[in-house]
Amino acid sequence: MNSLRKEFTTLSITLIAVGIALNLALGTVVLRLGLPLYLDSIGTVLVGALVGPWAGAATGFLSNLVWTLTGLFPQAFAWAGVAAIIGALAGVFARSGWFNTVGKAALAGIITGVLSAILSAPIATYVFGGVVGAGTDALVAAFRAAGLDALLSNVAQGTFSDPLDKLVTFVVVWSLLLALPAREKARFGNLPVSAGRPLAGKTRRPAGKAAKKTAKKAAKKSTRRR
Amino acid sequence: MRGGSIYIERSSGLHWLHPLTKVALTALCFASAAALPGLPWLLALFVGLLLPLAIWGRLTGAFLKACLLVVGPFVLSLTIIQGFFSGGETVLFKLGRFAFTQEGLLAGLTFAARLLVALGGTLLLMQSTPQPHLMQALTERGFPPRIAYVVLTAIQIFPSFQDRAQVIMDAQQARGLELQSGLLNRARLLLPMVGPLILGSVMDVSERAMALEARAFSSPARKTSLNTLADSLLQRAVRWLLALAAAALLLWRLWSALQ
Repeated sequence: MNSLRKEFTTLSITLIAVGIALNLALGTVVLRLGLPLYLDSIGTVLVGALVGPWAGAATGFLSNLVWTLTGLFPQAFAWAGVAAIIGALAGVFARSGWFNTVGKAALAGIITGVLSAILSAPIATYVFGGVVGAGTDALVAAFRAAGLDALLSNVAQGTFSDPLDKLVTFVVVWSLLLALPAREKARFGNLPVSAGRPLAGKTRRPAGKAAKKTAKKAAKKSTRRR
Repeated sequence: MRGGSIYIERSSGLHWLHPLTKVALTALCFASAAALPGLPWLLALFVGLLLPLAIWGRLTGAFLKACLLVVGPFVLSLTIIQGFFSGGETVLFKLGRFAFTQEGLLAGLTFAARLLVALGGTLLLMQSTPQPHLMQALTERGFPPRIAYVVLTAIQIFPSFQDRAQVIMDAQQARGLELQSGLLNRARLLLPMVGPLILGSVMDVSERAMALEARAFSSPARKTSLNTLADSLLQRAVRWLLALAAAALLLWRLWSALQ
């Protein structure tokens, strides 16, 4: 439980609130761009990557609770568990260095997407009668027409859209981590220090002379970047 | 999709009820949606309980509109998918090799009615209760105040984030980003659109956290609230009754499923 407590400081709790608000607000951008994606978990994945699996899970779960409480999308709470798992996975992937390169981040996104498709399907099937009340229901109908049963059609629909959605989400978060100053990333302490950067210190909390050197290097780099 | 709440201010008995009484009512709606056997029962509950409550709360129009917006898409999808694919004897019409059956139609509508009861209960709760009052009522009963803080803050700042996203998008468009282009091109625009918003808000976090700490956020002392929620003995009793009814419904359903 120690890791649990470590992940819920005042700072990270504030970040969780911001992550939830981002999840909700980014819908506007997706709508304006007219992309066929949900991108409703960028905030969740970002918090998971920065703070850790517990915080990521909390962001996902509470995002869906907030969707329900705003009354804009009251059915969201049914998927709160899936959202929590997405956040937890993002934390675990980030901790083990999967956000270091774009390829690994994309792969992590695909794995998360497949898992979320498999976990969401029973909810859509047994709670909502096999539909989600959106355009993707046409896909479900197509799979049913092709002869799949109710649960399998929902799994198939999910694996059609979720991995791509999570791939884009993870790659967006990867590039944001690249742009975020090292100081901000170190503040939350989940990422290995080198995450998203080609070069930097190797230990998570470097100490002593070596640390000062790497810190200097990092500082130089970020000034050069600008 | 604007703003972070569907609460509608009215002075009515429903609005004056203690939030937890309304939560118990919503819980009963969920239990009924899961347990009631058929379409007539579900519709009777909606017309006999939720609708009169909405009328009492002077929310009739808004409530029905919200129900239609949320449940409408489900009705459409469920009718098509269940009607064509859940089997049955009585064929209403045929589309190619797929038969639309009466049994399927009924199954679809029943599912939609279950969603109508459960989501209708939620919508009525949120239309008649300000979110801060709901969270206050929960924290007074031992709900973790930090979670309440996270939920309320997210609801409060999300509209301002939406505004910021809008400003960023306008600014980027003014600089020549082409929104009316191919799909791949628009996908490439995603990063310049969301990047500034996300990075800016993450960097604001430490400032927010400091402001919270300065106001004794992590102090274990009991905090008092300016706002007091009215409660009564009658409401307490009604709450218990509603909770008991919900539990009884679920138990009955479980028992009859095991038979």
